[in-house]
Amino acid sequence: MIGGLSPDVFDAVRTSLSVAAGATVFAALLGIPLGLLVGLSEFPLKRLVVTLFNTLMAVPTVVVGLFVYGFLSRQGPLGILGLLFTPTAIVIGGTLLAAPIVANYALASVRGADSRIVPTTLTLGAGRFRAVATLAGEIRFGILAAVIAGFGRVVSEVGVAMMLGGNIRGYTRTMTTAIALETSKGEFAFGMALGIVLMLVALVVNLFLNLLQRR
Amino acid sequence: MYRLQSIRKCYGSNVALDIEELTIVRGRLYTLTGANGAGKSTLLSLLAFLAPPTSGEIFYAGKRVDWNHGSVEGYRRKVTLLHQSPYLFGGSVHDNVAFGLKVRGIRGEERRWRIDEALEAVGLQGFRDRMSRELSGGEAQRVAMARALALNPEVLLLDEPLANIDRETTGLLETVIAALPARGTTVVMTTHDPEHPGRRNGESIHLEGGRNVLQSLR
Repeated sequence: MIGGLSPDVFDAVRTSLSVAAGATVFAALLGIPLGLLVGLSEFPLKRLVVTLFNTLMAVPTVVVGLFVYGFLSRQGPLGILGLLFTPTAIVIGGTLLAAPIVANYALASVRGADSRIVPTTLTLGAGRFRAVATLAGEIRFGILAAVIAGFGRVVSEVGVAMMLGGNIRGYTRTMTTAIALETSKGEFAFGMALGIVLMLVALVVNLFLNLLQRR
Repeated sequence: MYRLQSIRKCYGSNVALDIEELTIVRGRLYTLTGANGAGKSTLLSLLAFLAPPTSGEIFYAGKRVDWNHGSVEGYRRKVTLLHQSPYLFGGSVHDNVAFGLKVRGIRGEERRWRIDEALEAVGLQGFRDRMSRELSGGEAQRVAMARALALNPEVLLLDEPLANIDRETTGLLETVIAALPARGTTVVMTTHDPEHPGRRNGESIHLEGGRNVLQSLR
């Protein structure tokens, strides 16, 4: 079944992986510093911020899609950029989906980190930035897990890709939107084959994570 | 070296430290004693510039300590605190001892000989490439001491440095610590051991309930 995949399938796989990778990079750039900052700081509204992170993790993908759609549609404030129904729009939506997950995982890693790390770096003469960078290095597997979880969220979602990408064949069609389409057309076997490819991608990503952790 | 004036350190409503006046002179060995909760670790963290006092002033080398981030980093580089159970970074012994030297921009040959000298002082020649996570408790304590010694700090603060380690390591570290004042390093160490040589040969600061009740000078 998988052996007979058409070029359309490869396009969908390529689009899925490229938008998920792009969104994961931006989500990591946003979420990791945010998670470290909130984890290491004490401020009056910290609990509220953590609750907000948790809430954002659970936001349905179609809600994120709808929110970004409002900005990118022709009548929206960013409509002039013409980004709706492009891979870039999916990357933007994916970033907003994955960033809270990355931030939450990073925050959890900071909370679980050895409390002696930062004082040790400071007493050895490190500045604040170096101390945080050293902490990030010491909890790198937690940070890596955060990034992988963010990737998993983006690569497996349908709502954002459908609403912001428009499921355009060979352009914005991802594995998940292709599965939805093929299944709705009654091509269950074809949808199943794509599902297996998606699971293989998840497996490879997790094997990669395990490999890094063993090192 | 230090002069503390009307220092109070509070955690919420709990007063952890309340010292009216304390002077620590350069190049001497001080033992810091007191029961658990007497404020020893709090005092060490203040002396290490890791936490500001709630109120009061600390003078270091005659200058009033300014606790804004830019200034306090400069003070921290002159003082090193070694914990009872020190944290070693992942990586090798070399990586650990090199950390503070890298932070200070010391590189090349100087970094190499400082690391070698520090490891030799604690009897860990040949441990450079050992992974920190594979060390025994005593070896880890010695690496942490080497990491501090490599920086040649003006002040070395030791929080129960001889607790939980074997007799051989204890003897070695006692010798290393006792030699530091002769090099001009001021040492302040907490101890529960009434027989510790520092309590006979050095000076002692005794805390009770966060208050400095005795500072004996010999």
